[in-house]
Amino acid sequence: MTTIQATVEVQDLRKSFFDESRGEVRAVDGVSFSCRPGEVFGLLGANGAGKTTTLRVLSTVLRPTGGTASVMGHDVLAQPEAVRKNLGFYSASTALYPRLTGRETLEFFARINSYPPERVAGRVEALIDRFGIREYAGARVEKLSTGMKQKVSIARTIAHDPPVLIFDEPTVGLDVLNALEMAKMIRELGGEGKTILYSSHIMSEVEKLCDRIGIIHRGQLLALGTLESLREATGQHYLEDIFIHYVTRTEGSEGVGIGAMGELQEASPAGERPRGAR
Amino acid sequence: MNVKDIWILYTMELRCALRERAIVVYSILLPIFLYPVMLWVMFTAMTFIQGVTEGFTSRVALVGEPPEGHGALVDSLDATAGVELRRGVGEEEAVRLIQRGELDAVASFEDPEAAGQALAANFRILVLYDGSDGRSRMARDRLEEVVAGYRSHWMDQEAVARGVDEEARVLFLLAREDTSTKEDLGAMLLAMMISLFLIIMVAVGCFYPAVDTTAGERERSTWETLMTTSASRASVVTAKYLYVATMGVAAGLLNVAAIFLSMGAILAPIMGDAGEISFRIPPLAIPVMMAGAVGLALLLSAGMMILASFARTFKDGQAMIQPVYVVAVLIPLFLGQQTDRTLTPEIALIPIANVAMMIRDAIGGVFLWPLILQTLLVNLVLVALCLWLARFILGFEDVLLGSFDGSFWRFAKARLGPRRAGKEPA
Repeated sequence: MTTIQATVEVQDLRKSFFDESRGEVRAVDGVSFSCRPGEVFGLLGANGAGKTTTLRVLSTVLRPTGGTASVMGHDVLAQPEAVRKNLGFYSASTALYPRLTGRETLEFFARINSYPPERVAGRVEALIDRFGIREYAGARVEKLSTGMKQKVSIARTIAHDPPVLIFDEPTVGLDVLNALEMAKMIRELGGEGKTILYSSHIMSEVEKLCDRIGIIHRGQLLALGTLESLREATGQHYLEDIFIHYVTRTEGSEGVGIGAMGELQEASPAGERPRGAR
Repeated sequence: MNVKDIWILYTMELRCALRERAIVVYSILLPIFLYPVMLWVMFTAMTFIQGVTEGFTSRVALVGEPPEGHGALVDSLDATAGVELRRGVGEEEAVRLIQRGELDAVASFEDPEAAGQALAANFRILVLYDGSDGRSRMARDRLEEVVAGYRSHWMDQEAVARGVDEEARVLFLLAREDTSTKEDLGAMLLAMMISLFLIIMVAVGCFYPAVDTTAGERERSTWETLMTTSASRASVVTAKYLYVATMGVAAGLLNVAAIFLSMGAILAPIMGDAGEISFRIPPLAIPVMMAGAVGLALLLSAGMMILASFARTFKDGQAMIQPVYVVAVLIPLFLGQQTDRTLTPEIALIPIANVAMMIRDAIGGVFLWPLILQTLLVNLVLVALCLWLARFILGFEDVLLGSFDGSFWRFAKARLGPRRAGKEPA
């Protein structure tokens, strides 16, 4: 019997910030999960739930306050460079260098992420073909349309062929067609055996894309499982209802609703710590 | 820290910079073309104004009559090219005409006794003019030149008539001779200009890249992209630092070359028609200038990057650096411009001023090696201090993420005060 080793391991992860007006803010509060190769793992939560902070800790942009996290066996605190070498990070806040061309962008990210130098040129050309960007590979990124930039951006995320990919709210600001294109690419990458961490507050995206889903709220992971297992556990069919089920259980049934874009609308006093079962 | 990563990042920064119009203009084109163009425009304008001024006719009113026997003075004035005499105007009226710009000067022959002169036979010419008007000053100069020439000629005639020979009349002569060579004169001008503009240009050369590579990176949202690459933080910061310093050194040295060439090609032909000036730099001054430029660029890059690292937008970054730039660069720079002294141990302790004076001395052929060494050491110590400070500040991850609304003071209040949550080991 063979055991599939976890590519991402997160144990009791904590991250606090000090805010002038609110004091200590626990953005991530004891989150634990692990991911396997080829799995698309979704983190579903409202804005400010702790998704981005969790992913930033995993990508070593932030240091954890407590707990552990590792990528491909490398600890985020002890071996941050090794973690990043095995990771591709894509989010709305990871833009491209506007003054580089698409080809130069791919070459730069492959080289800086330690892709074998003798294979960089071949890898870049392969990515250009794969993403269909040959026509504008020589144009500066600042001249490209949103859709073109998105393709170059995904290509640069995987330029060094990392085993783990993080997509943090990747469809923010994209139109429907570009969002669908993005989902298609992510599905393909998952099919190639890469571990994908996907965060979103858009239920339909998570429902369609993710093999397992973690529902995160106020820095805590409220539920974790496949869509089927969550359905069984809650008795709800739609992910939106499943999400509401867990969140209201945490917050108390009154005063909590979900907006059109999945943003939590709450009546509880701002800054009050969540209580109750996880 | 990985040298290969630093090189990859450094070349990427340079490539991006050379495609950014503002950086190319301020760090490369401005240093190269500013001074040739400026000098050419300045001297062309001066020559033009001088030509126009010399072409003016000086309108001079004569008030009163010269004493008997001095009618030739008026004849001389009448015969002088560029002087137009007007008669029959009263002194008060003449002054009013000068004030209205309708007259340039008045030559008033004063009654010797009324003027209270000791020698009653002598006379005085009072020249009235408007000192705030260039044309009026020129009329004054023309009048004085004619009167001085007439007096000298008159005295020669009188001496001869009284039987005094020239040897007895001219007891001694005062002569002067400039012992400086044309190279010395050129070196003085070059030292003055290069020490001033090299430093300003190094600062200007560092300014845009420092803001662009920190605040600009945040504004473009490429900062987090870079933070998620496998390069270490130290490699990223080192590459950026070297890139900013390179741009500063390039701007400074290009500027020196441009000044040197433009002084030789534009200024020398204008100023040195008679071969009075020659622009040369002692060969030993070149390494001293380069060392000064490199030390200065390292210091200014570190200082500017520290300040700009708090900013979230390019505009914030500029606003943060500019006041400090004025105080920290321009004031010491002018301290270093004292032309009556060379580098001293005290001045060698003042950053910026020390480099300015070291370069000025070197161009003038003065090499005070212990003080040059002291200057370079002071710079290195300050660079080390800045780098330590940068390392300390970047240890706060919220600085990396651009918190504190781009304000150093908010950072200092939140992070260096009693409560220091969020400080993580670097």
